Amino acid sequence: MRFKLRFVIGSALIVAAVAYLIITAIRTTSEYYLTVNEVAARQAELGGQALRVAGRVKPGTIAWDPSSLTLKFAIITIPDPAAADGAVKPVVETDPVAFNVTCTGEPKPDMFADGRDVIVEGKLLPSGEIAATQVLTSCPSKYQAKKNR
Amino acid sequence: MPELGRLALLVALVLALYSIGANLFGATRNRPEFLTSARHALWAMCAMVTIAIIVLWNGLLNSDFSLEYVAAYSSTTLPTAYKITALWGGQQGSLLFWTWLLSIFTSIACFQNRRRNPEIAPYAMVVLAVVAIFFLGMLNFVTRPFDLLAVAPVEGTDLNPLLQNYWMAIHPPSLYTGYVSSTVPFAFGAAALISGRLDDSWIRSTRRWAIFSWFFLTLGNMFGARWAYEVLGWGGYWAWDPVENAAFMPWLVMTAYLHSVMIQERKDMLKVWNLSLIGLAFGLTIFGTFITRSGVISSVHSFTQSGLGPYFLSFLIFVVVSYTGLLIFRSGELRSPAEFESYLSREAAFLFNNLVLVGIAFAVFWGTIFPVLSEAVRGVKITVGPPFFNRVNGPLALGLVFLMGVGPLIAWRRTTPRNLIRSFAAPVSSGVAAGLIAFAYGIRVWYVLAALSLAAFVMGTILVEFRRGVSARRHMVGEAPAVALVNLVAKNNRRYGGYIIHVGVIVAFVGIVGSSFFRTEVKQTVRQGQSFAVGPYQLRYLGLSPLDTPHLEMATADIEVLRDGREVTEMAPAKVFYKRQQQPATKVAIRSTPFADLYVVLAGLDDNGKQATFEVFLTPLVFWLWAGGLLMVMGTVVVMWPNVRERAAIAATLRGAVDREMAGEPVPGGD
Repeated sequence: MRFKLRFVIGSALIVAAVAYLIITAIRTTSEYYLTVNEVAARQAELGGQALRVAGRVKPGTIAWDPSSLTLKFAIITIPDPAAADGAVKPVVETDPVAFNVTCTGEPKPDMFADGRDVIVEGKLLPSGEIAATQVLTSCPSKYQAKKNR
Repeated sequence: MPELGRLALLVALVLALYSIGANLFGATRNRPEFLTSARHALWAMCAMVTIAIIVLWNGLLNSDFSLEYVAAYSSTTLPTAYKITALWGGQQGSLLFWTWLLSIFTSIACFQNRRRNPEIAPYAMVVLAVVAIFFLGMLNFVTRPFDLLAVAPVEGTDLNPLLQNYWMAIHPPSLYTGYVSSTVPFAFGAAALISGRLDDSWIRSTRRWAIFSWFFLTLGNMFGARWAYEVLGWGGYWAWDPVENAAFMPWLVMTAYLHSVMIQERKDMLKVWNLSLIGLAFGLTIFGTFITRSGVISSVHSFTQSGLGPYFLSFLIFVVVSYTGLLIFRSGELRSPAEFESYLSREAAFLFNNLVLVGIAFAVFWGTIFPVLSEAVRGVKITVGPPFFNRVNGPLALGLVFLMGVGPLIAWRRTTPRNLIRSFAAPVSSGVAAGLIAFAYGIRVWYVLAALSLAAFVMGTILVEFRRGVSARRHMVGEAPAVALVNLVAKNNRRYGGYIIHVGVIVAFVGIVGSSFFRTEVKQTVRQGQSFAVGPYQLRYLGLSPLDTPHLEMATADIEVLRDGREVTEMAPAKVFYKRQQQPATKVAIRSTPFADLYVVLAGLDDNGKQATFEVFLTPLVFWLWAGGLLMVMGTVVVMWPNVRERAAIAATLRGAVDREMAGEPVPGGD
């Protein structure tokens, strides 16, 4: 039985090492993944935090300067498809919450355009602007085609 | 035609249901004629699914847009090859393809076991049929491939441009083959639990299936990485995206399983562990399908919510609960008499290697579902990106590589310190030497130094093993070295094939380390005629050449690559615009050498092509990742190669059965 105990100890050490690595890595590498509205709601506590923000490119706000690789646009909430399909629409369209995004040093993604859904990685500046390190366009679904009927 | 496909799927479902009843009745009441009938039913099921596949392929090839699926994933201008691969380009088609593979593998397993394993095989067929019923149920009632459109459009939407690539043509079938074939060993493991025949016969009967599954999982992951590298245009090959993780986790668990079954075969230990691993491997394939189709976890390859999530989740829970229940039910009979004797034994090295592999799989799992967990527990979605996976798996990978070197060289049961020194002196010194050389070349990153040392150490151990085997043959049989080497591998193909796989893993590991730590990236906007520097190279933008076909528009940038003022090569990255889907895509130009890959992306065009933005990566050693993958594949072929001795044994068994049949004796389960 002595040997059995040894192996329990050896295995426990490996399990502990894995757990330790996971816990410390989560602490140092996690990022908030928020929608535009959630960012607006939590603006106070998010300053300087690593963020991923999912939203939609507000049409007409894109400014792209190829020589300095600077991309600027505003990001708005992705409308809920269920609500959009419903018959009831708000009588007065309120202007949606928008954040200005600046991304420098990255080429403009292929799929980037007005009204596209994007994920912005970066930080929220005190000015309320998002300094992005990366802008990802979600590619159209591989599995489910849009139903146009 | 679509009606035929729909009918075939319905009949297949009925046949699968019938086979379960017939198998259970035949096995419990000892009525072999029912087992035979169940087998025929499963073969007929396979024929039915094959008909459905042919109908869908026929629709794709003839651009029959009255079929919703064809209209959504094909078009008249889509090249024929991609019309064929569009079968698995969309949800319904890929599920049908999955079901088809499952029905083929079920039929083969049926055929292999028509006279073998009478105690286990009927139950294994029941498990396979249950899995088939789940998928056939989905295809019949939830996500139907033969739905028609009220009005057939004149033109289809076309296949997603990202999938119009030859790697994407072969990546999904490889991965699916790997996923689906793991169902066979799982079914036999479950059957062992159901029937109570808990010796290692279920492992022996499905050993080739497990290796076959691993082979295709390896290929699938490699093809996927290669596709990401060539098509996505971000200079990397692996981003720890949920979709990639879904394919990686079963591979890890299957790797652990292939190693730990060796201990059960030799030492009759780890029975519960092996049964758990194969259950886990199968569960992870279903989990992978669940997360990629449910929309629960957001991925860059964003899969829209398709409503299939709850079904896959229910099936997953059903599998996990019933399998765990069986394990607990049989736990009393699964105790193994043998014990581990020493840390310095091969069993110990294998056990620890298993724990590390499963630990990596768990870390990947945890990171993948973390957003969902954090949202459930803390009410806010927190994601972990590639840094998390690299931080956790980096050190674990080092541990794994170390154990890879130790495992094969130390003896079963226990090793004396003297033996240890004799075996490990040469490999350890080669490891130390590699570390020192790297240090002398100015490498100061501790991880890279450790990785290179360990890689050299493992290579050393494998060389020692080959040398030992060759010199033993030379002394005992008196063969020339080259002949001895060939015979050594041919006569012990499982063992030495395994070593070739290990060499491949190490080579790929070095490629991964080199490409992760020493990549240079340059982003530059230049005007026509201007040039810019990337590492030792000068890249000059010569101009743009356009191309226009009915299917796509393409703008190719011509680039001249110079080194020390002399032209090395020309490269032609391009931007493509797919007309049908109104979607742009990037065509990367890659110049690959064993030292480094030059990877050029045309990132943007302005001023009618007079000005272009390029993103260039210089990635060292990435070549070796693919080379390592190739070696792993070759090693697996050696392992799977029919061994002369094994073939003789099977032939003898079969001959026995035939002889008995000729003599008029009833053969259990014979036709």
